[in-house]
Amino acid sequence: MELRRVEESIFKALMILSLIIVVGSLLGVIGIILWNGLPALNIDMFTQTGGLYGKGGGILNAIIGSVYLAVGGTVLAFFLSTGIAFYLQKEYSGGTRLSSMTRLCLDILWGTPSIVYGAFGFTILIYFQMRASLLAGIIILALLELPIMTRAMEEVIKTVPQELKEVSYSLGATRLETTLNVVSKQALPGLMTGVLIAFGRGIGDAASIMFTAGYTDRIPTSVFDASASLPLAIFFLLNSPQEEVRQKAYASAVMLLLVILAISIATRLLSRKYTKYIIK
Amino acid sequence: MSEIHIEIDNVNAYYSGNHALKNISVKIPKKQITAIIGPSGCGKSTLLKCMNRLIDLTDDVKLSGKILIDNEDILDRKTDIVNIRKKMGLLAQKPTPLPMSIYENIAYGPKIHGLKKKSEIDSIVEKYLKLVGLWDEVKDRLNSPASQLSLGQQQRLCLARGLAVEPEIILCDEPTSALDPVSSQHIEQQLLKLKNDYTIVIVTHNIHQAMRLADYVIHLYLGEMVEHGQANEVFENPKDERTRAYINGTFLADVKIDKVIDTKGNQCPYNFVYAKQAMHLMEKGQILKIIVDDLTAVNEVPRGMEADGHEVLSVKQKNKTDWEIVIKKQG
Repeated sequence: MELRRVEESIFKALMILSLIIVVGSLLGVIGIILWNGLPALNIDMFTQTGGLYGKGGGILNAIIGSVYLAVGGTVLAFFLSTGIAFYLQKEYSGGTRLSSMTRLCLDILWGTPSIVYGAFGFTILIYFQMRASLLAGIIILALLELPIMTRAMEEVIKTVPQELKEVSYSLGATRLETTLNVVSKQALPGLMTGVLIAFGRGIGDAASIMFTAGYTDRIPTSVFDASASLPLAIFFLLNSPQEEVRQKAYASAVMLLLVILAISIATRLLSRKYTKYIIK
Repeated sequence: MSEIHIEIDNVNAYYSGNHALKNISVKIPKKQITAIIGPSGCGKSTLLKCMNRLIDLTDDVKLSGKILIDNEDILDRKTDIVNIRKKMGLLAQKPTPLPMSIYENIAYGPKIHGLKKKSEIDSIVEKYLKLVGLWDEVKDRLNSPASQLSLGQQQRLCLARGLAVEPEIILCDEPTSALDPVSSQHIEQQLLKLKNDYTIVIVTHNIHQAMRLADYVIHLYLGEMVEHGQANEVFENPKDERTRAYINGTFLADVKIDKVIDTKGNQCPYNFVYAKQAMHLMEKGQILKIIVDDLTAVNEVPRGMEADGHEVLSVKQKNKTDWEIVIKKQG
């Protein structure tokens, strides 16, 4: 009896310890970024471009470039992912070899390091004798986000109660009508989460866009222009020997966090209107 | 016998090798209530799901035989399944509103079948909500989520939603098993009203509900149809021993009554309160016999006891005024 109680408290202590590590890491990351970045965080950072070297200048080009790249990639991945995730439903491809092959491919893609995507995109660009561009970056990010988004969505769609679908079918709805009107509405918050997770991965990735989107001090005006991005800005700024330039790297990191936070909140607000109809 | 609406001809169903329905052949009359009764796992729901082919959604099912509705074999793979299902409204065991507003729940069916004009949809929504007696309760909040309604209201909404696609047949799968006694009664009254215009097939494990509602009865036992016929004939004079046992409560002959209470002269709900008090003092598994002479109590006491989770073994008329209700305490 005594031993079991000791086990219980050891286990509890371990759980609390891991919680402390998780929360502590998050606070540590945010704290260090703010501590180092705040001195460099001024209005110029958001409104100027070309702040990669020396004092002054800002990273507006990287902020806008990152938003273009990540939003573009996420939108593109969204169309592909919803299609695949809905098709993986039981009614469409249930239990077929096609669906298990699709899942296997997605899992392998998920595990593929982003530099490999970058190298792949780079090879294609060279083959077509094209230069690094916003469009290429968007496509590569979409590929990077695709497996994450699809798998997250599929898991959510699986949780839609079978009875809900049966009701729709019993009213004479087709599979597509059921999917678009019932399944997607019920799964909406989960689908949003899937999109956000993928967006977070996309906007934070440096390796895949290094060779495909490139880096420039200008703000891109067409999809064929090269584009700067926040992760790469951080990478270049951190490499500087000057203290004040390195501070700008941390300021950029703060910006990256703020963009992700803003997009998360905006998505939640948008989907709130619909989530009240969900059947629990 | 009146006109035939659904003709089930030698239907067999196998669930992953398990023979769930065995050579079922029966004709279901038009504009009457047909009850499919039988113990759990006897194939009642399977038979119902064959009729609108929702059974297709179940993995690893094999079907044979024919089910003819308007001379169309609905088990034929070539038959257009969407049209078949449009002919049949389904009332499920658990109230299942769609993740939409009250209005949209009703409008969903007509919309997918091509109705576009807002005014027409409005009038359909109003018509069917009125038909199930829900209109006055929800007319001021048609746009609020259907999930905010009470369970009983949700089930009536589901009934209205099924009716809005103008089916000929209503299939009910234990439609009151998740509801409180008052809501159950409400649904039962709706069904009795609706049988003037619709063919109704109801699956129920509640023998009293079947007695109250059914015109025609099908008794399934372990996937086999052991008896079918006009309700009064089956209930009063069952031909098959298994039906007799099921209707009377199998073990009733040798059941040991632990306590008898006589509530004659009391109205509902007092007799129910007395029964509840007596039940409270008893052990799980013990059996209580209640004698009542109030006709409301004959319906309401068993219903209330079932809602409390107890098992009603029998309800029998002893003489002109007195009824005996035998209940086994559960949980």
